[in-house]
Amino acid sequence: MRLVLTNDDRIGVERDGGVVDVSAAFDDIRYRTAKDRMPRVLSVFLDRRSQIEEMAAAGEPKPVSGLQAPVPRPPKLIAAFGNYMEGTNRERQTQDMFLESPESVLSPGGTVILPNHPATIFHHEAELGLVVGRRAKDLPADERALECLAGYTCGIDVSARGVGRMGPSRMGKSFDTFTPLGPAIVTTDEIPDPQNLRVTMKVNGELRQDYSTSDMEYPVVEVLAFITGYMTLVPGDVLICGTNHQGLGAMQDGDQLEMEIERIGKLSVSVSDPQKREWPRGIDQEMANRVRTVGT
Amino acid sequence: MRIATYDDQRMGVVAKDDTVVDITDLLQQYDPLGPEDLLPDLITHFGELKSELESRSAAGGGKPLNQVKLHSPLTRPTKIVCLIGNYREGTDRPIQILDIFFKSQEGIVGDGDTVVLPPHQADIFHHEAEIAVVIGRTAKDLKESEAMGAIFGYTAYNDVSARGLGRKGINSFLGKSFDTFAGFGPWITTADEIPDPQTLHITVDVNGERRQDYSTSDMERPIKELVSYISSVTTLNPGDVICCGTNHQGLGSMQHGDAVTTSVSGIGSFTLLTEDTHQRAWQRGVDEEMARRVRETGTGREGSRLTGGASS
Repeated sequence: MRLVLTNDDRIGVERDGGVVDVSAAFDDIRYRTAKDRMPRVLSVFLDRRSQIEEMAAAGEPKPVSGLQAPVPRPPKLIAAFGNYMEGTNRERQTQDMFLESPESVLSPGGTVILPNHPATIFHHEAELGLVVGRRAKDLPADERALECLAGYTCGIDVSARGVGRMGPSRMGKSFDTFTPLGPAIVTTDEIPDPQNLRVTMKVNGELRQDYSTSDMEYPVVEVLAFITGYMTLVPGDVLICGTNHQGLGAMQDGDQLEMEIERIGKLSVSVSDPQKREWPRGIDQEMANRVRTVGT
Repeated sequence: MRIATYDDQRMGVVAKDDTVVDITDLLQQYDPLGPEDLLPDLITHFGELKSELESRSAAGGGKPLNQVKLHSPLTRPTKIVCLIGNYREGTDRPIQILDIFFKSQEGIVGDGDTVVLPPHQADIFHHEAEIAVVIGRTAKDLKESEAMGAIFGYTAYNDVSARGLGRKGINSFLGKSFDTFAGFGPWITTADEIPDPQTLHITVDVNGERRQDYSTSDMERPIKELVSYISSVTTLNPGDVICCGTNHQGLGSMQHGDAVTTSVSGIGSFTLLTEDTHQRAWQRGVDEEMARRVRETGTGREGSRLTGGASS
C-alpha cells in the first residue's frame, strides 16, 4: 500500500494512477494542522491497515493536484552518517547518526531555498527513508525491527558544506526546505528486500547518483537497532539511511532534481538561490575521491 | 511569573507564597489535544491570559511546592536546539564558530526524575548545566534587535552527555540523545523577570559537592545572537527551546546514586537522580582533564579532521 497526504489535506492510497481518499478511516483522529496530523495518523495506521486496504480497494482512484510530504513535520528526523561502502573494501566504519531539524521537511514539487550562509557548496544526498509506525526501543538487529515501520519513502538530505565548526555539519543539513520527503509511505510488504533497491538522482535530467541499497554498511535492521539503543522512536519519526557519495554534485539556482528509488517512487524538487551563486556542474569528484579514501 | 508543569500533567503558576496554583482550566478553551499542547497554547495566548495568571500568582493559596511533583516545564517542544560550547572558560581565544546540534525530545525529564545511564561503553557521563531559552512565537530570520522580543522565558537545563561514543572525528552528539538525558526545570520564569540573562549564576552540585559554578556573562555569543542566528537556519515555534551551551570548567561524572542539582539564579534549581544498572564507577569530583582540553583546544573539535568539509 502507498499512503499519501494530498495538497488539500486528504489522506489517500495511491493505486492505478490515482489516489483513493481514505481520510474517513482517520475521522476520529483529532489534529490541529497538517504538520501535527500525520504522526497521529501513523500511530493508528498499522492497526487499521486491513480497514484502509478495504477502503482503498473499494474506492475510486482520482487524480490529485499534488502531494505534501507524507510526514510534513516528523517528531524526530534522524540521519545516518555515511553508511555506504562506496566501492571500497574497507572495514565498516563505526555506526553513527545525528538529528536534523524536523522543520526542514519539504513536500514533493517544492523548492529548496539555498540560504544566505557562506557554504562551500550545497550537495544533494539521495537516501532511503524509513517512516516509523509504532513506538520502539531496543529493537533487535533482525527482521523483527521492521515491524515498527509504517513504511519506506524517498528523502533528499540537502547538505550545506563548510557551515559550522570543523567536521561534518549537522546544522548545514537543517535549514528550512533541506529535507524533501515523499512521495508516499510505501508499506514494508511491498518491499520484500530493502537492501536491493536502486537509488538514482538526476539533476536537470543528468544522472548523478546511481547506487544500490545492497551497498549499505549497516542495513535497515541495524539502523533501527542502533538508534533504538539510544532513544525511543515514536510514530511519524523519519530516519534517512545515509547516502553513497559517489555521484554527489552541486545544487544551484534553477536546478531541477529528480530522485527515484525503485518500487518506492520519484521525488522531484527545484532549487532557488536568491544569491545566484555558481559551482561547477556535474559530479563532485573531489568529494567522491575523499570519501573513498578516508570515509565519512 | 513562574510557569510549572506538575502532578498529573497540570499547568500552574508558582505563586508568591510558593504554592502552585492550577491554571489548566484556563487552557481548556484552546481545546488541547494532549498535555503537549498546554505550554504552546499558554505561550501563544499569553497576552490575553496574562492578567488572570498574574492575579492567581499574586493570590497564591495553591498546593505547596513541597507537596507537588514537578515535571519538566517543557513537555514536547517541536525541537531542542543546543549550542556547542559557547563559553570563554577563562581563555582569551578568538570566538569560536557558532554551531548547534539537535537533541531528542524523548530525553526530557524534570525535577526528581532519574537519568538512566545506558549500557553503552561511554568514556564517562557528564552533567552540563545551562540556561535555556523558551521561544515565544513562530520566528524565522530574526534580527538581533528582534531576538529578545521572541523569548517567552527561561529555564534551567542539564545536557547530560555520554562521551566517546560514535564515529571518531565526527561529533554526532548522539551521546546526548539517550532517553532521560535532557533535564529541564524547575519551571519557566517569564522573560520580564530576567532583565539581563547575561548576568546569571549557574551551578551544579553533585551529592552536595559544588562542580560547575559560572556566570552567563562568560558566554561567547550572547542570547540575542544565538536566537537570531538559529532562526536563520530553522523556523522556531512557540515552546521550542534553545539551550545556550555550558562552561566545561567543573564538569564531572554522573554515576549510580548521584543526585545532581542544577541551579540558575533568578530561575531556580532542580535535581536529577542517576541510575546505572551496571554501577560503573568513575573518579569523583571535577573532570580536570576535560576542563584543560577545552581551555586548550576549544569545544566541538575533539578529534576533528582539520580538513573539514566531510560528509554524511
